[in-house]
Amino acid sequence: MSLIEVPNRRRFLGMTGAAGLSTLSATAVGINLGLVDVVSAQGGPRSVTPFRFAIISDPHLYSEKDHVFDKHLEDAVAQTNALATQPDFVLITGDVSHHGEADQIAKGKRILSKLKAPIKSIPGEHDWYLDMGAAWKGAFGAETWSFDHKGIHFIGMNSILVPDFWTAAKLTPAQRRDWFMPLNSPVPGVWGVADIGLEWLAKDIAKVAPDTPVVIFTHSPLWDYYPRWNFQVKESPQIRDMLGKFNNVMAFHGHVHHTVYNKIGNLTSVGTMSTSWPWPYPPIDLPYPAFQQNRADPSNTADGMGSATVAIDRTGAGFVQHMPFADSLSPTMKNGFKV
Amino acid sequence: MTNQSRLFRRVGVSLAALGALLSAGSTLAATPYTADDLKVRQDALTNSVKRGYDMWYGARADMANNGLACANCHPDAAATNPQTFPKFLPMFNKVVTYRAMVNWCIQNPQGGKLMDVNSDDMTALEAYSFYLHKGTKIETGLVTRQTAGAEPASARGFNVKGTGIGFDK
Repeated sequence: MSLIEVPNRRRFLGMTGAAGLSTLSATAVGINLGLVDVVSAQGGPRSVTPFRFAIISDPHLYSEKDHVFDKHLEDAVAQTNALATQPDFVLITGDVSHHGEADQIAKGKRILSKLKAPIKSIPGEHDWYLDMGAAWKGAFGAETWSFDHKGIHFIGMNSILVPDFWTAAKLTPAQRRDWFMPLNSPVPGVWGVADIGLEWLAKDIAKVAPDTPVVIFTHSPLWDYYPRWNFQVKESPQIRDMLGKFNNVMAFHGHVHHTVYNKIGNLTSVGTMSTSWPWPYPPIDLPYPAFQQNRADPSNTADGMGSATVAIDRTGAGFVQHMPFADSLSPTMKNGFKV
Repeated sequence: MTNQSRLFRRVGVSLAALGALLSAGSTLAATPYTADDLKVRQDALTNSVKRGYDMWYGARADMANNGLACANCHPDAAATNPQTFPKFLPMFNKVVTYRAMVNWCIQNPQGGKLMDVNSDDMTALEAYSFYLHKGTKIETGLVTRQTAGAEPASARGFNVKGTGIGFDK
């Protein structure tokens, strides 16, 4: 299996990385050898069977019929279905719906059901606070989960929990939901996995060997990116401590609606583009600015959005490729990068 | 010329100017602003900024036909960069004002109704966006990099500073 996904020849010829170059040589003489698996041809401490998974983030579907965001999600589904090497599953990182309405969640499930691969989901805050996740759980199942797949331990967590601010204030479900709608809302406070999540995680990883590669999904990042916009998980320091025993932890998140990368000890964190709209970068200095997207062009309705794919190699390392609807990636990201 | 003579010279010039003003009549002598004056002006500005904030987050229904608000794409007015207008924008194929760009967003991604560029509501949208860019250098021209609005000191919304935890430098 190749790590590099090349959707079309034009993009393929634009590749400049080492892996792309070796493939280019094979194709240039007219021999279709398939894409050369360069990165994964290494031994590893543990047996991992190479495979691929895909990520679709933040569809934010509205109730209106034929809403523009329906089309964006359909584009991401088509993009994923067109992958030459199909993913074993597709991870939806939350905010399938914008208002948490049952019809929006049902619409999301209907569109996502067109994926060739099965899906795994975690909730976002937009999915949750109208009915405390009832419709979402009805459609997508457990909010926090783990499973082992081909040598990798996968974890998905509900990371948008806050203490009860609505009962004492006598808020209606819609009012409770509406306080979560603005990114910088003053009321709900900082989100997280809560004590229940920390307890679950401790039990979940207790018997997982340290040389097992771990992939963890949360809605927002496991580092203190920009709290004003809830670009963090409250218990990130504790979670990182607990995951500290593993050699390699690959964390993926949505919520930020742009590409972002960070590395903290053994944990690599990757934020992916949404399918709905792009968010600007917050006013801070990023530790890895090369992973910033180019500024989205508002006159191009496809710009700044997309999906992502991750190929796991035999060492258990991941090879990430963001897949934009339009060309808005920096050179660092175009050819993919290892996590 | 000594420093002292420079000072006298300046004072002399200033006194001459003041004399000219006084002789022109009392109507030209500005009344000092009172605390009440300043409060009226500040309150009016604050109300306009607040109105802009509310509309930014979807308070005016005719600004969209698909549920989208300015804040969907521009939290804290990030990446609006009002201080860079007038500038060339490809969707207009000419140099336009900030208000024209606001109207473009209302009409296109939001599918809303064109707003009167001279209305109080348009002024409020502009006031909110400029308020969040207060202190940003005015620099008309193209913006090619990702940019963000300045973090507001006292806008509605909570002001949580990053702790820096998580940077592995």
